[in-house]
Amino acid sequence: MTVEQEFEAVDQFPVGMRVLAVDDDQTCLRILETLLHRCQYHVTTTDSAQTALELLRENKNKFDLVISDVDMPDMDGFKLLELVGLEMDLPVIMLSAHSDPKYVMKGVKHGACDYLLKPVRIEELKNIWQHVVRKSKFKKMKSIVTNVESTDNTDQNGVKANRKRKDQFEEVEEDDEERGNENDDPTAQKKPRVLWTRELHNKFLAAVDHLGVEKAQPKKILELMNVDKLTRENVASHLQKFRSALKKITNEANQQANMAAIDSHFMQMSSLKGLGGFHHQQRQIPLGSGQFHGGAAATMRHFPLGRLNSFGGVFPHVSSSLPRNHSDGGYILQGMPIPPLDDLHINNNNNNKAFPSFSSQQTSLMVAPNNQLVLQQPSYASLNPGGFSPHLEINKRLEDWSNTLLSTNIPQSDVHSKPDALEWNHFCNSDAAQAGFSGANNLGPMTDAQLLRSSSPSEGLFVGQQKLENGSMPSDAGSLDDIVNSMMPKEQSQADFFEGDWGLDGIIAHSELAYENLFLCFLCNLVNMRKSVLFRHNQLLLPLVLSFFFLLSCKKKPVSPLCNLCFKHDGILFVLPMNLLAVKEWSNL
Amino acid sequence: MNTVVAQLQRQFQDYLVSLYQQFTELRKLQDEGTPDFVAEVVSLFFDDCSKLINTMSRSLERPENVDFKQVDSGVHQLKGSSSSVGARRVKNVCISFKECCDVQNREGCLRCLQQVDYEYKMLKTKLQDLFNLEQRILQAGGMIPQVNIS
Repeated sequence: MTVEQEFEAVDQFPVGMRVLAVDDDQTCLRILETLLHRCQYHVTTTDSAQTALELLRENKNKFDLVISDVDMPDMDGFKLLELVGLEMDLPVIMLSAHSDPKYVMKGVKHGACDYLLKPVRIEELKNIWQHVVRKSKFKKMKSIVTNVESTDNTDQNGVKANRKRKDQFEEVEEDDEERGNENDDPTAQKKPRVLWTRELHNKFLAAVDHLGVEKAQPKKILELMNVDKLTRENVASHLQKFRSALKKITNEANQQANMAAIDSHFMQMSSLKGLGGFHHQQRQIPLGSGQFHGGAAATMRHFPLGRLNSFGGVFPHVSSSLPRNHSDGGYILQGMPIPPLDDLHINNNNNNKAFPSFSSQQTSLMVAPNNQLVLQQPSYASLNPGGFSPHLEINKRLEDWSNTLLSTNIPQSDVHSKPDALEWNHFCNSDAAQAGFSGANNLGPMTDAQLLRSSSPSEGLFVGQQKLENGSMPSDAGSLDDIVNSMMPKEQSQADFFEGDWGLDGIIAHSELAYENLFLCFLCNLVNMRKSVLFRHNQLLLPLVLSFFFLLSCKKKPVSPLCNLCFKHDGILFVLPMNLLAVKEWSNL
Repeated sequence: MNTVVAQLQRQFQDYLVSLYQQFTELRKLQDEGTPDFVAEVVSLFFDDCSKLINTMSRSLERPENVDFKQVDSGVHQLKGSSSSVGARRVKNVCISFKECCDVQNREGCLRCLQQVDYEYKMLKTKLQDLFNLEQRILQAGGMIPQVNIS
């Protein structure tokens, strides 16, 4: 519109002023629309900020004023305010039921022309046209005044210019320019620092509009702006800032819109969040849903990767022999030897994958999600690559067992594990490993030959993962004797083993919680333990010490575990193969 | 006939007086051009109201994880629309509701929610009566009295 046309429009003002009203509340929007009609404005309404932006971008000259609600689901009203100010430089009025001065301040800071409170009164709306006039007045004036001056002079001139502008609304452009130029000259010698005033920015915006935000080039903008003493470099840097600000706001707005849009989706997903990789909080995951990963993930962190690497390295060939149901592996093995470890190792870093449901064979002991059973095959257990066929059968067994277990309802504990690094050094040597466990048939020390022959997930279990500080012995050594005495090695034939016995001779079931002891008993029974002894012992240190010494003893001679110590701590069931001999030795110390 | 009309008109006036100033403003906006303006707005309001109440009650349902933010935004919206429509009592409950929300008092919130529910239903009935009265006055040939509440 030329200046003359604008003057004409001003005469008719405020009748026919084009207002865009944005509010997600239908009631308020409808009322606002009617009120605005009453004021003889031309009204367009929308309940979404995004739509409003589109409408505005479609044709910048279509509207004179925007009225926007503050709280909208798809975009914050203040964001919309900023964007409109940046892109279209239209006056924006905020509307809200919040009378808190904080919001009013925020509105002003973001450039709102006014801030109205709901319920909106018609008297207030009758005056909003003043904002349009005010803004257009500034736009009309070409002020180059502050173009190349120092801050001081700029202020001075700015003030002067403003005053003049207010007084002489009908001023013709040339006059302004002259005045601006006059002021420029005396200060030309000063350091040329460009201060981007509103007026200058408006010219810049006009030029950018004309050229298109994407296509605008500093040189062309400069030409269009036609401002003295403004260099291409000034324009270029300003353009850069402008574009990045625009991008930032748009991204934030989009993010907000996206978040609002998929908010409900998130709500549903949140229950599945446990599927994520590591997370250090135990989740209460329903047993039946097969979402054990929560437990698995939590326990995963106990494993130092280095150790797993070695396991993986040692038994690569084993990987293929066992059916694995989870492609993303990373599962904690249950009585399965290496392959799971392999998976574990390989997939340790990919724990974000959702864990598949647990009908897989490997879940056997991963029972109660919250209990986070972890039975793991120590590396040394099965050095023998030869005897893998049993595994398949074991798989089946385990599967059966796991399925049974899956159907039990296990009480949940909300203990948090404290992840201490595991002292794996003890069974690092493969030699020691070999010394480790023998296959199911244990009845006393087995020869190496026997060991080598069988490679079963025997008492497969290890996993204590807490660092022993100084490995100090607990003072209640007395109880150890009790334990030792109560352990009764049982004979188990290979047949038994294949029928489903894991070769666990006896179990000392321990738990800090009574009901869990019961569970442990149940567990033992399920795997056909010959003997299980329950005891309550509140100190974890004891079993750990036992395991520690056991491990130490492994290095010396091959001995078979004659019993297994099960204990539960922090929701994790530890089953430790106990070397009776070692224990006995220790007790003799 | 006239007495009937007069009676009805009096009743109407009483009703209006009991409502908020804003509501009469709203009624003023209604003219030949927009004959159903008030009815439309009011029914929009009731729809919004019931939706908001439902959302909020769902949020407040489980004591363990109440999403107070959501409840707060619901209350805010309700406050805005009720004040625009002129539902004064609803708006007042919203104010105390917001306070309960700010301190995350679930019981308080529940109570306020119930109150809001009650108030808006009351209002609904009242307005329904008002409209009926209007109809009857018109049918009886009378004019709707314009009541100015200062």
